[in-house]
Amino acid sequence: MTETNRSRNRALVDSVVLPFLFLTVALLGGLRISAESGTFIFVAPPLVTLLLAVLSMLLFVRGGLLRFHEWVRSDFPPLTNVAHIWMFVTIFFASAQAFNSVLPERGLFHWLFSFFFLWTLWNNQFSSFDARRLLRSLTVLFGTAFVLKYLLLASLYSSEAGWLKRLAGALLQGVTLGTLDAPTFAMATGYIAFFTLALYVAGLILLAFAVNSEPPAVTKTLVGEYRQLSAAERLAVREAILDDAGDED
Amino acid sequence: MQFKLIQLVGLGFTIAYAAFIVWLYATEPRTFKEVTTGAEVAAGTYEINQENFNFALSLFRREQFRAARDEWQRADPAQRDARTQFYIAYSFYRQGWGRVYFDQELFKQGVEAVNRAIALSSTSPLTIDDPDLQIHSAAELKVELEQGLEHSWSDVNPLKVLRTRK
Repeated sequence: MTETNRSRNRALVDSVVLPFLFLTVALLGGLRISAESGTFIFVAPPLVTLLLAVLSMLLFVRGGLLRFHEWVRSDFPPLTNVAHIWMFVTIFFASAQAFNSVLPERGLFHWLFSFFFLWTLWNNQFSSFDARRLLRSLTVLFGTAFVLKYLLLASLYSSEAGWLKRLAGALLQGVTLGTLDAPTFAMATGYIAFFTLALYVAGLILLAFAVNSEPPAVTKTLVGEYRQLSAAERLAVREAILDDAGDED
Repeated sequence: MQFKLIQLVGLGFTIAYAAFIVWLYATEPRTFKEVTTGAEVAAGTYEINQENFNFALSLFRREQFRAARDEWQRADPAQRDARTQFYIAYSFYRQGWGRVYFDQELFKQGVEAVNRAIALSSTSPLTIDDPDLQIHSAAELKVELEQGLEHSWSDVNPLKVLRTRK
């Protein structure tokens, strides 16, 4: 009964909860609220965010957060494979839109932020990662970008800011010959972006739990084969494992 | 069996949700009202507000063209009704028409509106049975508006002040 419940809950998380969470991130990641009219502005993901999403997906695979080879297999029913592939697609677009939500829309800052993300993700490709460290790293990355865009930059360009801030903004604009031009949005945009990023990280944490709740396929195969051995062979295997553990100590 | 059912329902639900998101980004509605109007159009249940339409028509007949257009835009916010778009184009024509010259900006907007009207009635030629109008078909109105945008030697003909507005 417990096993049945576990597989049902797993199906619910994989097929409904996670894709829904990630699609919501994809929906809200490009949503801005106009400061003047309070109307919706939908910003489609720029090309650079797709590149960033590809790098993130590679990181997820390297960090063990996504196990393509275990989730899409020829011995699985087609529907299960389709459900898993669909989940990967939703993660990809959610990643692109999560980057879209923290990237300034235009100007020099757009390219500075893009470069900062590309550099970080590219460096991370060559670091050793596990799922937990990867999640921590991504949370810090998005948190920093959020603070920079919605707290620091937004206050510089805000029409409600004090004269000193506006003067600093105008000076910055003048010095950089207008390349730092950034559109101003309503306060609600910051709240939406915060909610979007929280949802994205929550989705990744849920994914990490889903991954860790089941042993890898290699382990399953190994245990299955071990059970087919004779008593003497099992003893030999156990001794070999213990010896191996002793060597490592 | 239940496992399969969850997967099927989940896939169906999330694919529909993804289609809705793609539609939102493609149509870019600016308010919740526009979202619902767009959804009505997509579902085929969209109808113009007849009350606003009739009020706009009365304004049009009193030559209050700008106010009439505002009301027609309220009557047909999604710009999906060929008849309303025809009247909007006609109001641009009448407002932009002048004995000495035509207002190019208004005529341009008129062409856009009449093109919308023609596109919306692609199955049959659009004709409006209104005795107050002298142009009854969208094709004729389009030609009239386009001729107003063209420049030729006939523009300097002094006799053109005798022409009449349709």
